[in-house]
Amino acid sequence: MRLDQDHATTCARSAKIALTENEAQKYQSQLQELFAWVKQLSSVDVSAVEETAAVRAAYLRPDEPVTDEALVQTLVGAFSDKEGTCAKVKKVL
Amino acid sequence: MKTIFDITQSVKDGSVTAREVVLESLRRIKELNPQINAFVETWSEEALQRADEIDARRNRGEKLGPLAGVPVGIKDNILYKGHKATCCSKMLANYVAPYSASVVEKLLAADAVIVGRTNMDEFAMGSSNQTSVYGPVHNPVDFDRVPGGSSGGSAAAVAAGMVPLALGTDTGGSVRQPAAFCGVVGIKPGYGRISRYGVVAFSSSADQVGVLTNDVSSAALALEVLCGRDENDSTSLEDAVPPFTDKIHQDIKGLKVGMPKGFLDDLGEEVKEKILSAAQTLQNLGAEIVEVDVPHAKYSAPCYYIITSAEASSNLARFDGLRYGYNNPSATDLNASYELNRAPFGEEVKKRIIIGATALKAENYKECYLQAAKVRELIKQDFAKAFEQVDVILTPTSPTTAFRLGEHKDNPLAVYLADLYTCQGNIGGLAGISVPCGEDKLGLPIGLQFYGPILQEEKILNVAYQFEKAL
Repeated sequence: MRLDQDHATTCARSAKIALTENEAQKYQSQLQELFAWVKQLSSVDVSAVEETAAVRAAYLRPDEPVTDEALVQTLVGAFSDKEGTCAKVKKVL
Repeated sequence: MKTIFDITQSVKDGSVTAREVVLESLRRIKELNPQINAFVETWSEEALQRADEIDARRNRGEKLGPLAGVPVGIKDNILYKGHKATCCSKMLANYVAPYSASVVEKLLAADAVIVGRTNMDEFAMGSSNQTSVYGPVHNPVDFDRVPGGSSGGSAAAVAAGMVPLALGTDTGGSVRQPAAFCGVVGIKPGYGRISRYGVVAFSSSADQVGVLTNDVSSAALALEVLCGRDENDSTSLEDAVPPFTDKIHQDIKGLKVGMPKGFLDDLGEEVKEKILSAAQTLQNLGAEIVEVDVPHAKYSAPCYYIITSAEASSNLARFDGLRYGYNNPSATDLNASYELNRAPFGEEVKKRIIIGATALKAENYKECYLQAAKVRELIKQDFAKAFEQVDVILTPTSPTTAFRLGEHKDNPLAVYLADLYTCQGNIGGLAGISVPCGEDKLGLPIGLQFYGPILQEEKILNVAYQFEKAL
């Protein structure tokens, strides 16, 4: 696995997190230690494992549309500026 | 503080009022919280008003719920409509829950009284409750030591007699390990037993709500109230919830208790001695101790840190200041906006997100995340095979007793290894309970853990109750 000098900063950026130089240095050494520890997993023979699904299959509710008028009103009511069931949000930039 | 059975019984028969019970809880919080920091906010007036309503209903002859008048603390990552829920993070400093979690609705329907929100590691990431934006929690047994984490506030609140019941969440041991460090009972039921609707997600394949109490019978009663299918959580199980409070009284003659091969090898002498003594107590009660083999369990901790961090990096993406969380208005472009808005995350949270992002990167995915997911499957298979031989499995809850505040500050790996015995339960989806089994030479509590298969919480409650009685 690649864990070069810029690794912590690059991975943090991909997660939209900015690191200071001090943080990057600190994380770099901690990540190197952690991934060295995790490397023990590669010694496990997993050739017989086929399924990697969740702990237990979820019971999914029927895929049917539901209208909850009270919820609509609660959500719209949370906004100070609205027109009908449309809420006005602040601009991102 | 009395057990929740005693409290509800007294409130129901009128020998004490719910107001008196809640006042005593608030008094204890006021007296001890400045030293312990278990609660980050209390809702005193509202709690007293609710207690009065319960008393009034009793006076009118109405039937009260199973948790009548019981003061409860809820972990700060559980939503209670109209109340702050911050995950003890600056990121959610002003977040007010727009709806209540299903577990909160169930508590209220059972006539419990929620008195406040408890301290925790930021976003439930930590094993010592030292990453909270509200400052660390101090262990009530020794104020210089950690209470464990991440539900450290909930465990400390119960141990200090502030509340007889507190809710926590457990992703790698966050209910059971603080229970062990503080000398109380903590149970995480099997994956899917309790709804997570309204609980802030950390790692969706491992998160579970759990309870902390002073004794096993109280934990059984609380679970009866909280377990069950919830339409709002597709991972909650449909299976019927057994009467746990009845099941705990069965004797354990002939019960097969598994002890995993090699699990005690690296333990300190004092913890090992208490675990072996506990095994002897169980044998005296008629249980049979059987050695079982779970060869891949030793990989649980690294497996856990890859899988849960990967899921956290995804779950916490929503805290970008646009959908949820802190919003910094000074950004001039979208990337800068995200980076500024996500800056308030604490050090441990940032680190876990980076670990997760690394594990999920295209060039690392197969070697890292996929390999961990496959090892997880082997660990689950190991436990499934072991449960063909035995009814429950016994382990220590934690390899050590509570460590000093700041002790492992520069060695996060040492803290991660504190989860060694507990994260197996989350990796395998098992039910796990920690029950006190003695103290070390310094008087620090030691926890004993029982694992049971999914949907068999009654077995671990039963054996834990009988052990507690015999201790």
